[in-house]
Amino acid sequence: MSLINENKDFGVIAELIPNNASVIDVGCNDGSLLEYLREYKNIDGRGMEIDQKKVQLCLAKGISVIEGDADTDLYDYPDKLFDYSILTYTLQATKSPKTVMQQLVRISKKAIISFPNFGHWKIGASLLLNRKMPVSKKLSYSWHETPNLHFCTINDFIDLCEELEIKIEKKGDLSNKKLSNFSGKNFLDSYFNEVGLFLVSKD
Amino acid sequence: MSENKIVTLAENEPLNLDGGGSLSKFKTAYTTYGKLNDKKNNSILVCHALTGDQYVASDHPITKKHGWWSMVVGPDKPIDTNKFFVICPNVIGGCMGSTGPKEINPENGKEFATDFPVITIADMVRAQKLLIDYLGIEKIFCVTGGSMGGMLVLEWLSKFPEMVHSAVPIATATNHSAQNIALNELARQSIMADPNWQSGNYYHSDKKPMKGLSVARMAAHISYLSKEALQSKFGRNLQDKNSLDYSFDADFQIESYLRHQGFTFVDRFDANSYLYITRAMDYFDVSSANNGSLIEAFKKTQSKILCVSFTSDWLYPTSENKKIVKVFNSLGLNVSFIEIETENGHDSFLLDEPKFFEAIKGFINSTFENL
Repeated sequence: MSLINENKDFGVIAELIPNNASVIDVGCNDGSLLEYLREYKNIDGRGMEIDQKKVQLCLAKGISVIEGDADTDLYDYPDKLFDYSILTYTLQATKSPKTVMQQLVRISKKAIISFPNFGHWKIGASLLLNRKMPVSKKLSYSWHETPNLHFCTINDFIDLCEELEIKIEKKGDLSNKKLSNFSGKNFLDSYFNEVGLFLVSKD
Repeated sequence: MSENKIVTLAENEPLNLDGGGSLSKFKTAYTTYGKLNDKKNNSILVCHALTGDQYVASDHPITKKHGWWSMVVGPDKPIDTNKFFVICPNVIGGCMGSTGPKEINPENGKEFATDFPVITIADMVRAQKLLIDYLGIEKIFCVTGGSMGGMLVLEWLSKFPEMVHSAVPIATATNHSAQNIALNELARQSIMADPNWQSGNYYHSDKKPMKGLSVARMAAHISYLSKEALQSKFGRNLQDKNSLDYSFDADFQIESYLRHQGFTFVDRFDANSYLYITRAMDYFDVSSANNGSLIEAFKKTQSKILCVSFTSDWLYPTSENKKIVKVFNSLGLNVSFIEIETENGHDSFLLDEPKFFEAIKGFINSTFENL
């Protein structure tokens, strides 16, 4: 069965992870991705979550979870403890995306990172035509209440990886549920992917 | 409701102690709740704190108050005794029926008093292990406890890792800080400075070191509460009066409250036990048997663990509990951590803290379902 056809982003992420891998999901929410990966990939999973209500939900599901903050608590893990780290839709809400990314590739052999692409054409159009900060399904907060601190575009992310000598191995296209090898910046991705999803690593 | 039981352990072979010396045929007083199932995989060992005892969920025989964790342990409680077999022993060195300074030394027929050997947290755990063996349990489903109880949990994880399926150490530390030791020393000195202590030989005297023990309890009690809790509960309110007395009576409510805490404590606790148990806590360092390495201390541990701390606990602060989490993380263990926001200080683990209860319940039940 190919998980990529599942009607969820989870399927695309699961496709990147081999069976029995050890995985930490940073910003693991209510633990549903970890549960999904446990069911379909038999992973040994750990979570980190800043919101205590969600930590409680994880505990009740039997998921090992640390109440903690991606900005400060990733330092507690030794190098390459996990096969995979996952950071979905959290990078833009961290205080220091740069150090969080460095920590992710330090504590795991490979990292899966997804974020809203601020370079998407609709966002550009909203700014250009309406002169208003964009609000959409993926970016659902108004400018004055958003927890998001550091928006970036797919091209910005690629540049940061280059600066940090982080290797991008694969890219994902969530709307078409597609994974492909990364081969540099791409006009279509940066305009038309609402979400950037990448598999990265650093030795 | 559970009856107190007393069993004599180490009947054939003495229990060798860390400080040299040994205890043979020592007594352990304990309570149990619920039933051990056929698979013998539903037992929960509850470890009490410094001044706790085996009356975890039944009324205390002296104070007549509800058990110290009756909000947590019982039918349909976070630790549900419809489902789990709960065991709570009084530690050795204690004063509620387990062998300790106020019990009779079988060798000479007199109270041990200060002839009782200085014991450690590891000694207490070795003694508890003999009880678990006696009860015919090979693997404990969960070991839990707060404060000193948490130290016992950590020692269990280090000494008998293969016997512990899961563990919940609460508001604790891998060793005592200088501040912790200092507070305990203050307590011990106040007991020993009381002339009625009589070098510990007060059991047949009319005069008992009640003042010293009472002051020790008052000092300790301050450390169990947070500044915010004291302030919001008492502030500078006066006790049954409208103006200052210009005397050394208890003018302030906080003074009267502490005096009450001290006076009532002496009815149920033995001064010598207080000396021995605080000493064991000060000596505690779970890494000490492993050349000071916490990684070594827990390298055989495979248990699933939940660590809990409380925001306003300055005696065993979150930073100390996170140190434990860091070690377990480094070993790749299945560890969870939650910090409960409360102004109730170290005492929070004994109080009505719904989020704390929810975390314990969620962890224990989900772990049991995945057994």
